[in-house]
Amino acid sequence: MPKKRVGALEKVDADLPNLQYKIGRDPKSYTEDFLNQYGQYQSQRDIFMASPTTATSSGIISFRNLIDFVAHVADCFPEDTAEFPEDLKTILTLHHAQLESELREKIVGSLVLLRRKDIIDSSSLLNTLFPILVATPSKTLRSLLFNKILSDLRTSNQKAINHRLNRTIQTALFNLLTSDRTSSKGIWAVKITRELWKRQIWTDSKAVEIMKEASLADNEKVIGSGVRFFLGGDKEREELEDESSDDEAIDVGKLKHQIGINKKTRKGKKSVEAAVKKVRQNEKKKNAPHPLNFSALHLLHDPQGFAEQLFSKHLNNGKSKLNLDQKLLVLQLVSRLVGLHKLTVIKLYSYFTKYLTPRQPQVTSFLASLAQATHSLVPPDAIEPLVQKIANEFVSEASASEVASAGLNAIREICVRQPLAMSDILLQDLVMYRKSKDKGTMMAAKGLLSLYREVGADLLKKRDRGKKATMGIKSGTIKERRFGEDEVGGIEGIELLEEWKANERKRKRAETGLPELGTDEEDEDENEAEEQAGWDNWDAESDASEDSGGWIAVESDEEINISDSEDDEPAAKKIKLDKSATPNPDAEKGETDQNPEKKVSKLATTKILTPADLAKLQELRLEASINKTMGAKTKAQSDRIKEALARHADDALTADQIEGFSKLRKSTKEEMIALAREGKGERGEHKSTQAIRKSKKEAEGKSTTNKEKSRKKNFLMTLGKAKYKQKRSLTQTKRVLQGHIERSKRGGKRGNIGM
Amino acid sequence: MGSSARKKKEKKKDFQKTKLKVGKAKQKADNVTDTSFRSKSITVNQQSLTTTAPSSFSQFSHYVSLASSSKSDTQRKDALSYLTTQLSSQPVNASMPLPTAILLPKLIPLILDGSPAVRSQLLKFLRLLPPAEVGDRAEQSLLYTRAGMTHLSAPIRVDALALLEWLLEVAQEDIVTCPGGWVKTLKSFMSMMGWASSSGSTKWTSASRASFGKAGKAFPRQIIMLAKFLQAGLVEESSESLTSTSNGLFPLCDVEVHMIPARSNAFAHLNLFGSSRDEEGEMYIDREERQRVFATKFQPAVMEGLENVKKEAGEAGRAAAILSKALREGMVDYSGIDDTQ
Repeated sequence: MPKKRVGALEKVDADLPNLQYKIGRDPKSYTEDFLNQYGQYQSQRDIFMASPTTATSSGIISFRNLIDFVAHVADCFPEDTAEFPEDLKTILTLHHAQLESELREKIVGSLVLLRRKDIIDSSSLLNTLFPILVATPSKTLRSLLFNKILSDLRTSNQKAINHRLNRTIQTALFNLLTSDRTSSKGIWAVKITRELWKRQIWTDSKAVEIMKEASLADNEKVIGSGVRFFLGGDKEREELEDESSDDEAIDVGKLKHQIGINKKTRKGKKSVEAAVKKVRQNEKKKNAPHPLNFSALHLLHDPQGFAEQLFSKHLNNGKSKLNLDQKLLVLQLVSRLVGLHKLTVIKLYSYFTKYLTPRQPQVTSFLASLAQATHSLVPPDAIEPLVQKIANEFVSEASASEVASAGLNAIREICVRQPLAMSDILLQDLVMYRKSKDKGTMMAAKGLLSLYREVGADLLKKRDRGKKATMGIKSGTIKERRFGEDEVGGIEGIELLEEWKANERKRKRAETGLPELGTDEEDEDENEAEEQAGWDNWDAESDASEDSGGWIAVESDEEINISDSEDDEPAAKKIKLDKSATPNPDAEKGETDQNPEKKVSKLATTKILTPADLAKLQELRLEASINKTMGAKTKAQSDRIKEALARHADDALTADQIEGFSKLRKSTKEEMIALAREGKGERGEHKSTQAIRKSKKEAEGKSTTNKEKSRKKNFLMTLGKAKYKQKRSLTQTKRVLQGHIERSKRGGKRGNIGM
Repeated sequence: MGSSARKKKEKKKDFQKTKLKVGKAKQKADNVTDTSFRSKSITVNQQSLTTTAPSSFSQFSHYVSLASSSKSDTQRKDALSYLTTQLSSQPVNASMPLPTAILLPKLIPLILDGSPAVRSQLLKFLRLLPPAEVGDRAEQSLLYTRAGMTHLSAPIRVDALALLEWLLEVAQEDIVTCPGGWVKTLKSFMSMMGWASSSGSTKWTSASRASFGKAGKAFPRQIIMLAKFLQAGLVEESSESLTSTSNGLFPLCDVEVHMIPARSNAFAHLNLFGSSRDEEGEMYIDREERQRVFATKFQPAVMEGLENVKKEAGEAGRAAAILSKALREGMVDYSGIDDTQ
């Protein structure tokens, strides 16, 4: 029923917002009025409860407005409104399906308002809203509830992590998933968890457990969303963080400049102050220690069990109803887990056999998954037939070039992870494809060749081995790696770092004019200064007095119930930068184990590497491996190799990388246009470059030149001067010309003083 | 200049003769009035265009729905007045077109209607309903009565009192005994008259009454209605009927008590099937129970308010005298011993 017309007199009477305002100012004086309204609310509530479906919000004041009013002033009359939240909860839980939408939204909003006023606590609010979110058929209500639940969880975790609340909610979500595995209601648990994971509110293993349960559900939707979380949740989180860190870059200098030019107002001053404050805050945030976030895959309790369950339930199960895409997702997750944690799921490899044909849809994804599932502890017997099959099915003269290159790429990716899966005959056969006419195939074959020059040169024909490998085999430095053998000790590339550091020092000394080799003391001083700088770059909080640089005490869940037992050691010991006291245990062990004749770098044993050092180390490693790989003649090639090497072992292998160089086909027109446009800026309409430049300048708030200004000047304003110019006497003209010369010498009207 | 030439041309244009063209309609004059109109439907107010006129029953139910859910004030009022004339003009013994059980729930929400005309028409209509059938609907009617009594708008409060008066006339017993009928209604009275006090705060100032305003003329009426209500709840009925039957056949004394009860839902006070009720929503069947609740919850506030009103004298003072009389009569035999706890 629509609103009825409200008479003038009634309007005054029915002015709830006015009364609300008055009560807000002075609750005591308006107690009577509030009680009257509350009585009205109660009678309306009774009417409503008597027949929720037929009761209409007729009359001058609707039930909705009364609820709103009471919710707003409830904090002023806690005793009188003690049962108000309960009323709302019962109305919502019992009748949410029949309520008209506006009233429903108002009730939800009022409950949240009561929560904000601390009249009810978060857990009771969430326990009310969550069952409705799961049960309601209304889409709008669902989205409303979802938002409210999320925002409430966020606000209650804002100041400090509210462990108790999180735990109850997590338990509720977990129970929702485990109680009925076939229902699609679990999707809400997944959605909430994913959102909170993304915002770094839930970063613990319990959230991961929830997602694990979701991936093991029986409903396709729930499975899909759970698996997607593991495959993409962490990336999403990182992206959000990046986004939030680089938004709103305020240029304080520009603002100050503008204030200096424009009229000085209080408002302008304030805006500058606000901007400065904001910039400071941003800087503080930027320098704050980075919270330790483990990826979801690392937080899993029992990855082996999880991977086995996933595999046997969704993939190796005739009754599973998943379609190919969903199966691929699950397969990606399983292979990711296997590769990352070096698990052993032997059945997985035979499962791949039937999918490895060129006609299989999305075969590149299967190939990528297979490569991902391979690691150094997989028995070569399990993979060898697969490699053989890929070679037979994909790589032949008769097959299309894309197919061959995809096959070769896949084989290479597999062999990177388990070099023993290759036999010498097959390898020699495959390496022959480096003479192929097709570029993609050729490059894939070369990649394989360069890989085996490093990891198994004896499998190659003698002439393919290359100089370095041949010499290595002869001198015995390159030995065949056995199955399960691990490289012993040492930090890869540490000697590179040492060398680089020495060079740097030399260079610096040369710059300052000192002899190249200084005394030890000087070196020591320099080292310390350098090191301090290295820490400072990464962590603003470390200063001379408190040198806990770079480390954050990660509080565990148990900290809520702090044990007071006196013999407990202080929980978070601060790690000191005392060099002699804490040698790196790993490196030390490496030192004793290694061959005495091999020169061991002392760097890691004598120093704690700063984050800056580690970054440099990574860079140097990359450089070295690029130099080692063959055939990087052009810049594009070396870039590609660099990209491939920079990929972290934790990162997933995608189908794109398997397709790899077969993309080197002639690009389409659209791609070429996009490439040409790249970096040229937006060109909305057809304009000259000059005009675009000018508008860009204008948009940036930069000023125009004097010439431009004079060009733009109104004609009528120049008219008077022009007319007068013709009538000037000779002396006047002279004075003007001389003035012009003087001005230009001085450098403008005001002059360039101090320039 | 150019513009004046254009203006000249325009002026000339008015006097030029328009050329007629073959095959085209004649051009319309400049001052022609467009008389064509479009309408989705043509409504004839009074006439029925169907060959078979609708039956009086269907017309009656149509007007009921019109009265309960029409958007326009006048339409609602007219529908109600139609219903009123229909009911009043029908023969004495004829059955009603629609039973009270349907009419009352549909129309009673109109007591909260914004238009005064609708409300007064509703009161007129309700008086035509058969009194015997109202009692069963007492609880529902009371819900709306209470909502009206605590309403922000003063005229609605007055009309709600009139509604309560009617209810007391036709179904006095049901009103005070139905669930929530006694305590909640009394509470509404208290809040309406400004005698209620917050449970939380101490009483500092007398009621400010910012939103309800000074009740003025309505105040004595409120007091009188409270007196009537208390009389209905607290004062014992003259039990003539009881005595008459007990004189009957000797061995059969108090037969009624042991017979199947005549009223509907006789065991409602046990509340076997409904949701549990709190103290306010409870049924108070006995007079003693009502007395006890009144004495513990409301009597102090009423006495205090009464004292204040008596001082005012005038019409309100006279009404207060009636109220105090009703109170005396009602509470005369109340022992004050709370034996229920």
